[in-house]
Amino acid sequence: MSRSLSVLAANAREAADSLRKARLRTVLGLVGVMIGISSVIAMVSLGEIAREQARKQFEALGTDILVVRKAAHARTAAIDLPDAVQLAAAVPSIVEAAPRISGHGIFRFAGRQVGQGSIQGVTRSFASVIKLSMREGRFISDLDTDRYYCVIGAEIADAMRGEGADRLLGQLIEVDEVLFTVVGVLDRNTESYTLPVRVDADKSVFVPITTSQRLVPDPGIEVIVARSHAGVHYQAAVDDVRSFFRKRSPDLELDIVTAKELIARMEAQMGIFTLLLGAVGSISLIVGGIGIMNIMLVSVAERRAEIAIRRALGARQRDIRGQFLIESILLTTAGGVLGILLGLAATWTICRFTGWEFLISGLSLASGLGTATAVGLFFGFQPAHQASRLDPIAGLQGK
Amino acid sequence: MLKLTDIRRSYRVGPVATEVLRGVDLEVDAGDLMSIMGPSGSGKTTLMNIIGLLDRPTSGACLLDGRDVSGLRDDELSALRNRHIGFVFQSFHLLPQLTALENVCLPLVYRGAGRPEMRRRAQEILERVGMADRTGHRPDQLSGGQKQRVAIARALVGEPALLLADEPTGALDTDTADEVMALLRRLNEERGITILIITHDPSVADRCVRQTRIRDGRLFEAKARLSGLAPQRSGADAAALPAP
Repeated sequence: MSRSLSVLAANAREAADSLRKARLRTVLGLVGVMIGISSVIAMVSLGEIAREQARKQFEALGTDILVVRKAAHARTAAIDLPDAVQLAAAVPSIVEAAPRISGHGIFRFAGRQVGQGSIQGVTRSFASVIKLSMREGRFISDLDTDRYYCVIGAEIADAMRGEGADRLLGQLIEVDEVLFTVVGVLDRNTESYTLPVRVDADKSVFVPITTSQRLVPDPGIEVIVARSHAGVHYQAAVDDVRSFFRKRSPDLELDIVTAKELIARMEAQMGIFTLLLGAVGSISLIVGGIGIMNIMLVSVAERRAEIAIRRALGARQRDIRGQFLIESILLTTAGGVLGILLGLAATWTICRFTGWEFLISGLSLASGLGTATAVGLFFGFQPAHQASRLDPIAGLQGK
Repeated sequence: MLKLTDIRRSYRVGPVATEVLRGVDLEVDAGDLMSIMGPSGSGKTTLMNIIGLLDRPTSGACLLDGRDVSGLRDDELSALRNRHIGFVFQSFHLLPQLTALENVCLPLVYRGAGRPEMRRRAQEILERVGMADRTGHRPDQLSGGQKQRVAIARALVGEPALLLADEPTGALDTDTADEVMALLRRLNEERGITILIITHDPSVADRCVRQTRIRDGRLFEAKARLSGLAPQRSGADAAALPAP
């Protein structure tokens, strides 16, 4: 066996031994590193899980969504309803387009209030673009133009049942004092917070867009939610939509937000977020590292005689340095392993409460262990170096 | 085997330099059992540190097995200590966290021996010093005399050319001190191990074949007794002889 290997093996055995018989001080140092590593793991994992979560919400909705609004600032013309309806047919890169007019109203059934929320004037395509699912009946169709038919959200349906309606289809509901016939009831729909347009379907009444123009105070098109072809780059779709409207209505200025753009922006933000969380964790890790350095310095001071004896028996300076480095690395690595477990446990708990999907990121594990070792090496070096430079004569005389 | 010529060592405290060793000449031959006696402050520990390659003289030549050690790097001195010198200290200096066997293994660890071989040799040498039944004990479970036996075993396990003992009986009661001295004498007589004992105790010095005294930083040959194992030689002769 080569000399350095034999020394290394002996050092590792002794370090493991002293760790096993750990004193309170050692345990405290270990806990310091453990907390540091666990917060790095928890922070980085949560950052990644949050990003994954947001990405999934987008993907459930489709990453090919475009949200078209007239520009908020300028004295711009309004979006014309016929243009909006024709958008999908006229622009090849757009598959579907769902214009919406919206207002607010109070809903009554049999003279009793059954909810208040938004009145959304929509076309047939709205349900498929936003992916609303039906529980009963049908959604608004193209044949409903100017008719007083409506589709109600799940909460309003519940309230109507509470008022004694056992069959909902065909019932009359009062929407801002105008009677509508219920033709469809929506399933409960979870709102996607990442969608750049609010729907809040459960509390809403959907009516034909033409009918809504007579009903709400602002009959302009509030938004068009469109879906582009899967193979089309989002920027090309945006350009196509702009040029379509420029031809139809030169005074109209548009604000277009695409899901892909949002994802890109969000990923960049999440990246910064993760980095920031990691930095917060790192600070506690540095504190842990300083704790380790402190312990090792005390240990070196206490073991001056031992160091001197080892030197007298033939240990070279680098053998002594190696011995103390191995001790501090072993200490931080043990803290690191415990910290990873604690960090994962914390992440799992947070995921349970937020309903996020728990996942273990290999990157965070590797970086956790790597960082622990690096902390041991970095904060252990100075004490180890100091130990190797001790004067054996002074150590032997107990000075 | 060991030859010191005009060794001087001075310490500088602020602007004042104090010369502790003022030209020590010494020759130790293989198989010697020799004492260096002197009162405290006479420079005997300083001399021991220089012989033990823990300290470097301010001037003078130190030859170990004919090799000049003055220009060697720290690593080389460590290796020489490991192979050629065994230390026995007044306060034993065993590592408290290690068993007797592990303590004895230490010099072999720094030599790069394999673990089974280390343990076999440590076991052997512990048997030779009469500690075969205490190999798994830690120092705090051993008496003073037992500790010193373990320390002697540790000093001998690497088969060094020279055993350097600094007040080996200083922390022991008279009976135990006698036992330890008897052990050292036996090792010298039966195995021909070269032993250099530093002491302030005349009764310890008396039991050595060659006796020297250190006074005011100089070494004097006090008594050189004829012996079949240790060749007789006066201090002046020793200094005049060429290196072996």
